[in-house]
Amino acid sequence: MLTDPRPALGEQSNFVGYLVGLAHLARAVHALACDGQPRADPRREADDFTHLLLGVASMGDAINRLAESEPAQPSGTTDAPASPATNTRWLR
Amino acid sequence: MNPVEMVGMLAELERIRELTLDLVERSAPQLLPAPPTHADGAERTVFELLLGARRAVLGNPVAARGLHDLLVAEGQRYADTPAGAELRDALVASEAVENLRRVWETLSLNVLDGPASSNAAPDAWAELLADAIIGHGLDNSVLGHFRPEGFA
Repeated sequence: MLTDPRPALGEQSNFVGYLVGLAHLARAVHALACDGQPRADPRREADDFTHLLLGVASMGDAINRLAESEPAQPSGTTDAPASPATNTRWLR
Repeated sequence: MNPVEMVGMLAELERIRELTLDLVERSAPQLLPAPPTHADGAERTVFELLLGARRAVLGNPVAARGLHDLLVAEGQRYADTPAGAELRDALVASEAVENLRRVWETLSLNVLDGPASSNAAPDAWAELLADAIIGHGLDNSVLGHFRPEGFA
């Protein structure tokens, strides 16, 4: 049931795996930019596709900054106010 | 309508959606060359990933459009920073990006481009669907797939 949070499901969560995957995609965008072959016709303006790639790169940079930030505090020692039970039921 | 009928209707809609996606995938340009089915490793993984991305885009156009617009907006914001502008200029000048663009257009069939109302499927997606179904010949054999079981 959606209203029945189970710690076991939380342990199986691969959230960090998603972040690592996104960071890896961002590295691939940087690698594309460093590709040795310049375009034959470099006059093109940046379009939606280019901005899409830039968006992925930006997210990867943000994830890298997360990894460089302070280690997470153990659960229960945070100063943040406790969330209402109705919100935490989604956090498994 | 009781809850059982409602769930049955949702299941039937999902079945129709899957059949429509199958039809679109059969009509769409194939990704070539396809690696052999027994191939292992990165090549097969990337091929399956690309096929999965296409099905995700075609099957969930509203969500895909939302994610697309979110990333484009983030990319535009990033391009306003010195690091982002430098990366943008390098991407624009890269031949590899042009190759990737061709792969992306083959994958997405450009259904994420063009006009779209907020929280609605892009117009290009509706046109693609109409082309696939009407272009396939909307005869009895096609319609037969979409009829609920038990209907002649």
